[in-house]
Amino acid sequence: MKGIFSVLVENRDGVLSAVSGLFARRGFNIDTLAVGETDNHEISSMTITSTGDQRTIDQIEKQLNKNVDVIKVRRLSDAKSVCLEMMLIKVAYNLSNRTPLIEFCQVMGAKVMKVAPKYLLIEYHDEPENVEDFIKAMKGYGIIEIQRTGTIAMEK
Amino acid sequence: MTVTGAEAMVKCLEAEGINLVFGYPGVAIAPFYEGLYNSGIEHVLVRQEQNAGHAASGYARMSRKPAVCVVTSGPGATNLITALATAYADSIPLIAISGQVSSKLLGRDVFQEADMRGATRSFVKHSYLVKDPDDIPRVFKEAFYIASTGRKGPVLIDIPMDVQQAELRKQFHYPEGVIIRGYKPEIKINPIQLKRVINLLDQAEKPLICAGGGVILGNGEQVIREFCEKFNIPLVHTMMGMGVLPKKHPLNFGMLGNNGKPYANKAVGRADLLLVVGARIADRAIPKPEKLTRRAIIHIDIDTAEIGKNVGPTIPLVGDLSEIFAMMLDGDISRKEDSWIEELEEIKTSTVDTRVFSDRLVDPNLMVQKLSEKLDDDAVYVADVGQNQLWSADNYIMKEGRFMTTGGMGTMGYSIPAAIGAKLVAPEKQTVAVIGDGAFQMAMNELSTMRNNNVDLRILLVRNRYLGLVREYQHKNYDSHYEGVKLSDWPDYGKIAEAYGLTYNECASNDELDEKLNWFLDGEGARILVCDVDSENNVK
Repeated sequence: MKGIFSVLVENRDGVLSAVSGLFARRGFNIDTLAVGETDNHEISSMTITSTGDQRTIDQIEKQLNKNVDVIKVRRLSDAKSVCLEMMLIKVAYNLSNRTPLIEFCQVMGAKVMKVAPKYLLIEYHDEPENVEDFIKAMKGYGIIEIQRTGTIAMEK
Repeated sequence: MTVTGAEAMVKCLEAEGINLVFGYPGVAIAPFYEGLYNSGIEHVLVRQEQNAGHAASGYARMSRKPAVCVVTSGPGATNLITALATAYADSIPLIAISGQVSSKLLGRDVFQEADMRGATRSFVKHSYLVKDPDDIPRVFKEAFYIASTGRKGPVLIDIPMDVQQAELRKQFHYPEGVIIRGYKPEIKINPIQLKRVINLLDQAEKPLICAGGGVILGNGEQVIREFCEKFNIPLVHTMMGMGVLPKKHPLNFGMLGNNGKPYANKAVGRADLLLVVGARIADRAIPKPEKLTRRAIIHIDIDTAEIGKNVGPTIPLVGDLSEIFAMMLDGDISRKEDSWIEELEEIKTSTVDTRVFSDRLVDPNLMVQKLSEKLDDDAVYVADVGQNQLWSADNYIMKEGRFMTTGGMGTMGYSIPAAIGAKLVAPEKQTVAVIGDGAFQMAMNELSTMRNNNVDLRILLVRNRYLGLVREYQHKNYDSHYEGVKLSDWPDYGKIAEAYGLTYNECASNDELDEKLNWFLDGEGARILVCDVDSENNVK
């Protein structure tokens, strides 16, 4: 199963490595990790997604709670929260497929940020599964490079 | 009046009531040592940094308060890591202060720079790198608070040299309380859960308490004893839980686990309700925790993360165990029938000790039995790691004293420095370290610490000229292919003792044991007794 954690932490040096180290030490894999300051510059917010059985996900939550630099841990469920991911992707094109590619982006609400002679740089954000689907669709054109932010999530 | 960072550090220790620290100085911590020089705090110089940590561990366990160890940057600090890991595994409250290179030089790999916060991350409860001298009072207050509350453990304070030298801009003020957003150890006991537990205990016909080291760390021995006696509930314990009840207490059914008593394990099998208290249920105590799940298990622990980690499903009750047991003492619980105790007593007597003591050299089981009979009721027994630890745990007749060992990490050489620490807390108590010849050679540098500080420690050295427990493992699992385990006949321990000005004796047969142990425990002054054990004499 998938666990989505929204974690408030002290915005200090070493805290990110303490939190990620906690996962590594217990053999828990981090699927995605997104970090940023909150409106209070002393506090950062992290969204961490991880996969594991019920016991693993429970242990992750408990171990996060034990960390002194962790202020609050919330476990989010897919149904009761909004999950988003943003992606920048460079997709190759040629004269024959350029128009359908641009049309596809328009339909999906993806934004073409730059048209280079051989590729388009596209920005796309959506629910994580849709981002996956978008990537699959781009594979037919030829993906040159991808940057993803990882999931950010918030309770509804 | 302004003070320097180093002076502030000393003031913080004074405010915490610390009057003794264990350490090993170096340039990066020299300003703090100047502060110590001008204070009333005693410094015990160890001979290797790891032992500063172990000595502080013994001191903390005996005084039941956090103890302090101090090291310099780089190799001094990295040498301490094993001791921190040991204390962390056993939940011992330590404050480790390490010097660090100047803050301006951090990250440049200058002489004796080591990233201690990064290196110790998985072995400490929390760590600090202090970059501003004005943070010192708050950091120390928090460190002592974190180390000694909730599930106890070591806290590291890494302080760059320039921070120790700089003057505080503000007046020194030691805070009265702490505000840590992410650390709230006071757990309110869940009244519904407590009621459920009391109900289960009331209905149970064959309840059994399984007590771990957390009971001792939580100062819960007395209240659990009252609880057992009031409701006629028997108890088994882990290795770290030795001493919750005296060994000969009628409700104590011994140590469970791989290396424990068969009747203790059988008691676990017969119980209809298991009350696990302050124990991790790690592999050594219960190798197959999944087998336990067919009966009701109540798990009481201060650490939420322990619940369900190794055994489940359970009825959890999180909180301070002394508080919980005090509440349960007033609970509506029926006093258990004597038939349950009689059933266990019967198992105990039917699994009589059929062991025949080896007549080759000294039998280690007999040695521990005789030693514990002769020890004072309140003696402190520190067992090292290896066969000697298992012989000790199996045969030691616990009275009202303390049994200490490193159950979690199993760090060789722990006993001598830890016993030095314990003895410095309670010089009036008979203190014995029982150690094998492998571990002794890891820790014998501390004999001079012992001498320098007039620590009257009795060291019982179990000599079989092998790394016995590994040898035993190779015997059972690798067709007796003994590789890398032979210690040979060196050194001559009599000469080692002489070199350190210690009195010395050897015992090579069971017949001599009484006389030699009497010599060992009598009179004044630290001494070493070597007991020769046959290398073929295995734990099992």
